[in-house]
Amino acid sequence: MRFWRRLDVKRNPMAIISVEQIQKLGQQIYQKLGLHFDDKKIYFLKTRVAKRMAALGIDDPRDYVFMVSYADTNGAEMQALANLITTNETYMFREYDQLQAFANHCLPEVLSAKQASGDRTLRIWSAGCSSGEEPYTLAMIIQEVFPQWQSWDCKIVASDIDENMLQKVAAARYGDRSVKDVPDEYKAKYLIAEGDEYVVRRRTAALVEPIHLNLHDRMALRAMRGFDFIFCRNVLIYFDDLSRKAVVDHYYNALRPGGYVFLGHSESIGRVTTAFKLKRFEDHLVYVKE
Amino acid sequence: MSSLKEYIDKLNDPDETERIYAAEDIGYLNAADGVPPLLKRLEEERSRTVRDVIFQALIRIDADSAIEGSISLLQSDDPQIRNQAVDVLRRKEARSIPFLNSVMRDGDKNQRKLVLDALTESRACDAQEIYAAALADKDLNVVITAVENLGRMRAVEFRVQIESLLQGDSNPMLIAACMEALVGIGEESSLSAIRRCFPDLAMLPDFLLASCLKVIAVLGSAEEFAEVASLLSVRGPHLRPAILGALTLMQPRCQLSDAHEDLLQAVRAIVEDGDPPLCRYQAVRLLGFWAIHDDVYAFMVSCLSNPERLVRLGAAESLRMTGKPGFELTLAARALKETDDEVLEALRC
Repeated sequence: MRFWRRLDVKRNPMAIISVEQIQKLGQQIYQKLGLHFDDKKIYFLKTRVAKRMAALGIDDPRDYVFMVSYADTNGAEMQALANLITTNETYMFREYDQLQAFANHCLPEVLSAKQASGDRTLRIWSAGCSSGEEPYTLAMIIQEVFPQWQSWDCKIVASDIDENMLQKVAAARYGDRSVKDVPDEYKAKYLIAEGDEYVVRRRTAALVEPIHLNLHDRMALRAMRGFDFIFCRNVLIYFDDLSRKAVVDHYYNALRPGGYVFLGHSESIGRVTTAFKLKRFEDHLVYVKE
Repeated sequence: MSSLKEYIDKLNDPDETERIYAAEDIGYLNAADGVPPLLKRLEEERSRTVRDVIFQALIRIDADSAIEGSISLLQSDDPQIRNQAVDVLRRKEARSIPFLNSVMRDGDKNQRKLVLDALTESRACDAQEIYAAALADKDLNVVITAVENLGRMRAVEFRVQIESLLQGDSNPMLIAACMEALVGIGEESSLSAIRRCFPDLAMLPDFLLASCLKVIAVLGSAEEFAEVASLLSVRGPHLRPAILGALTLMQPRCQLSDAHEDLLQAVRAIVEDGDPPLCRYQAVRLLGFWAIHDDVYAFMVSCLSNPERLVRLGAAESLRMTGKPGFELTLAARALKETDDEVLEALRC
C-alpha cells in the first residue's frame, strides 16, 4: 500500500462533525429560530457549522454544540449561524412551490369566500419586504390567476424598516438576478426591459403600497388590520423568542378569520403560538386563522 | 395616556383584540399590580392568543409576584397553562430559584418534575440544593429529568452522584439517561464506571447499547474501537447508525492508520446498499479515514458517481481530506457531470 500523508482530521472540523452532532444542532436551530433542516441538508449545515467553528477557534464539535445549546445566553452565536444558513438574497418567485400553493389553493379559497359574502376587497401584507421582489411577485400572481382583480379593491402593503429598501420598492426597478426566476410569459406581461434592468409595469406596480414599519413597534402593528394574507418569509428568524411571539400575536390580530400566514419554507411558528391552524397544500404547510 | 386601571378593565372586554392589547400593555407597563388581574383573567380566558399574551406579560413584569403567580399555575389541570408557566419561570432564571426550591420541598411529583423543566436555562451551580434533592427523589421521572439536565449542562460537580446511579439492576431508562449525561460531562473516569456495569457490549439490549456507544464514542480508546467495530457484524442493521457514529468519532482520536479488512468490507457493503441513505453517508465518511490507501481511494472515486446523493457528498468530502496529488482534478471532472447543488458545492469548495 502507498501513503500520501496522514489525514490531519483533528484540525479539520468538517472531518469530525458527526451526523448526530449535526442533528442535535438542527434541533437547536429549530427550537431557537424555528427553521427546520432535514437530513438532506446535512452537508449544507455541516459546512456552515465548520465555518463558525473555524471563526471561533473551536476544534471540538461537541464544544460548539454545547455552546450553541447552553452557553449562548444572548443568542449571538445562533444569530451568527443564522446569517450563514439563511440567504439574504431576494428575488422574484423565490420559493416557487410555496407560491403555487398560494395561487392554486389559498387565494381561490379566500376569494370565493369573499365573493359569497359580497366582500370585494383583497388585502395582502408583505412584512419585511426588503427591496420589493416579493410584493411584486404577489401582484403578478393576482393579475394572472384572478382576472376580475380590476373590479375589486386589491392592495398589497409592502412594509420594511429600512427606508432605503422602500425607495427601491417605489422605484420598482430590478436587475437580472432579481428576475431570473420570473417565467418568460410573466416577464413579457408584467415587466418592461430597460437596458440591463427591468421595470415593473405601472398597472402591476400600482397594486403595491410601500410603507415604513418597524415590526418591533407594537403600536404601529396595531394599525395593521383586515388582511387576508400575510407573507413574512425569512424575517422572524432575526428576532429573539419573545419578540417573535409578540409579532406573531400581532399577525393574528392583523388577519381576518380564514386569513393565511406564509413563512419561509423551512420556518415554523408551531412552537411560538398555538393560535393558528396548520394546513397542508401539496408539500407546503401554511398557517390559517380560524 | 392610559392607566393600569383602564388596561385591567379592558382585560374583560368582549373583543378578543382589546384583551390582547390590554394584556400586552400591562406587560410593557411592567407593573407588579397588574399581575393579579392577569392571573385572574387567565382562569376564564378561552382565547389561546390572549393566554399567550398574558404569559408574555408575566415574562416582562419584573416582580416576584409574576414568579409566585407562575408557581401557582404549575398545579393547573391544563397542560398548556403548565407549560407556559414553566416557560415564564425558565426566563426568570436565577431569580425564580428560591421559589422553585420550596416547590421541590413541598410539591407533588408532577410539580417537582416541572421545577426541573424550569431550570433548563439556569446553571446547575445556582440550583445545587434542588438537584441534590432531585437525584435522591423517590420518583423515577424526577431523577431522570435531573440527570438529563445535569448532563446537558455538563455539570461535572454531579458526576460522582450520576455514576453511583449506574447499577446493573437500576431502571433501564435511568441507566440510559445516566450514560447520556456522562457523555455530556465528558470525564474519562466515567467510562470505567460504565464498563464495570456493562463489560460485554455484544450482550447489551439495543437501547442501552446505543447509549453506551455514545459514551465510548467520546471517551473510548483504540482498544474499544475494535470492540465497537465487531458489533457491525453481530448486531442488527438498525444499530448501524449508532455504531458508525461511534467509530467516526473515535477514529480521529485513535488515529488508526490501518483498519481491519473485515471492517473495511463491512463498511463498504453498507455504502453500497445499507439503507437508509444517511447511514450510507456515515459509512462513506468513516471509510474516508482510510482513503489514503489506494484501494479505498479508488472505491471513493467510484462513489462519486453513486446514484445516492449522500454517498456522493460523503465521497467528495473524504477525497478532499486525503490531499492526494490530483484529487482536485478528480473532483473537478466529476463536477462537470453533477447536477445536485450541494454535491457540486462539495466538489468545488
